[in-house]
Parts: sequence; structure tokens; C-alpha cells
Amino acid sequence: MSGEEEENAAELKIGDEFLKAKCLMNCEVSFILEHKYEQLRHMSEDPLNQVSQVFEKSLQYVKRFSRYKNPDAVRQVREILSRYQLTEFELCVLGNLCPETVEEAIAMVPSMKTKGRGLDEEAIEKMLNDLSLIKTFE
Amino acid sequence: MYLKVKLPWNVIIPAENLDQKGLILQRSIIIRLLDDFTCRKATKDLGYYLAVSSLERIGEGKVRQYSGDVLFPVVFNGVTFKLFRGEILEGVVHKVLKHGVFLRCGPVENVYLSHLKMPDYKYVPGENPVFMNDKLSKIGKDVSVRFIVIGTKWLEADREFQVLVSLEGDFLGPVS
Repeated sequence: MSGEEEENAAELKIGDEFLKAKCLMNCEVSFILEHKYEQLRHMSEDPLNQVSQVFEKSLQYVKRFSRYKNPDAVRQVREILSRYQLTEFELCVLGNLCPETVEEAIAMVPSMKTKGRGLDEEAIEKMLNDLSLIKTFE
Repeated sequence: MYLKVKLPWNVIIPAENLDQKGLILQRSIIIRLLDDFTCRKATKDLGYYLAVSSLERIGEGKVRQYSGDVLFPVVFNGVTFKLFRGEILEGVVHKVLKHGVFLRCGPVENVYLSHLKMPDYKYVPGENPVFMNDKLSKIGKDVSVRFIVIGTKWLEADREFQVLVSLEGDFLGPVS
């Protein structure tokens, strides 16, 4: 790692390839994996035997930590968060952890407070309000 | 963080599985790719390999000189899971020891939270040992905890990551 800056997600130092890569929220992964699992169920009698440990553990995890259960809500969450010039990584951290206050949101995604981002507390507050509305209507 | 990645891969089809019928060949390539993908388990760069979501393209096959097997370069989309230093995540406790707890996070089992990284929590021994703080908040088996990643280590031999996490920071700790 000599010469390279040390990785730190709090400052968005996670490598350019990951900053640009598409990240997925737990709820989105949950839909992808459930769909895969359904496909396997149609093809074999013992689908659990067909999937890897990595798949099985991830499925259990995303089921437990998905904040939104309905596909429309998930789409709306991504849509709302994309209005705020967040990186893919920041967007998914917020969608996964669902902070309730501005203070909490900044603690979860400290990079939002970097200078020149144009994300003041008012904007963050509005974003959290919009997100909580989706949760209520789900 | 779960990532959507586009990956190139070389799929090798043994000579005896080759067939004139294109559809069957395509099928063997996909089956082979899914097998290889599952066996790879994880890589240092992209993390754990979860699932292939779609096949982007299958390139021209090249015959390998001595075996007669054919190598097909393919490109596909898949989902992986990688932990970043400084990332905040949630996990589930699965083992409580005197010096700390082990958590599960996504496909990773070895997420370690040392007692040194949760200074306000004290170990309470018993049949179901827990860590507890002054406000009676408990970290025990099956409890969900929000933490920050302070270090990751790739173990090449096991194709596995070891992860160190901490509760030092605002809004970290057990979640209901």
C-alpha cells in the first residue's frame, strides 16, 4: 500500500473503481437473491443445496436488515436519494441505516459534510423527511 | 457494501461436453460459469461473490492445444460484498467471549468487536454471557449491533476476510 492513501470510507477514500461502481442497498440485494432462489426452487427440489454458503448467509442477512419490503418503496428510496448529489456509496449507507435525525445522518455518512458539497442541514433534513414518508406509506 | 460488478471470466469447456447444437453449448458455458463463480468464493479486490445476475456476452472460443478443451471468454454482471475501512454497518452477534464478541455481517462470519473497542461495556458472565453498559444496554447472542469497520485482512489460504470493528463513535451500538 506504499504511496497509496489509506482506505477510509468516512472520507470516501475507497478507490476510484468503487466510487464509480454501482452499490446496492440491502433491500435491493434481497430482491435479487430471493428472485434467484425462486428460480432455483423451480429447477430443483432442494434449492438450499444448490446455493453457496456465501449466498445463503447473505440472503439471511439482507432479509433481516432490509428497511423496505416493497419493490416500489425501494425504487422511490433510490429516486429520492439520487436528488441530493450523493455518491452511490453514500446513497446506500443512508438507505441501509435509515438515520432519523440530521445529526445521526452525518455520523453515518461524515463525507456529506465535506466543504463544497452543497448539502446543508436543511437539505439533509428534507431528505430524511421524504424518506420517512415512504416508510409510513409502505 | 453490496456491489454490482461487471466481470470478465474465462470458462473452460472440456472437449467431451462440446456439442454441435449451439443452445446446449451455451447452457454448458453458463453452468460452468456458475460453478466456477461459486467455487471462487471471494477475492481480495471485490470481496465475496454472491450471485451472477446476467450474462453480458460470450466471446469466440479458443481451442487449447494439448487437451482439446475450449476456452470461452465471457463477460457477466454479478453481485459481491466488500467491507471498507471506515464503513458503518449492522451485524448480528453469534459468539460472546470474555474479550469481545464475534458478529455476522452479510456473508462474513469473522467480524470481531474487542472489549477494548467498546469501553463502556462490561462483560457479564453466566449461562448466556453478555456485554452491558451503565444504561443496561446489552450486547449478547442474536443482538443486532451497528458498528464501524476499523480494519480488514484478506486471508489468501481460506479465501476469507477477517474484520475488526469498533463501537467508538456516535450512534453506534445495539439496535432494536
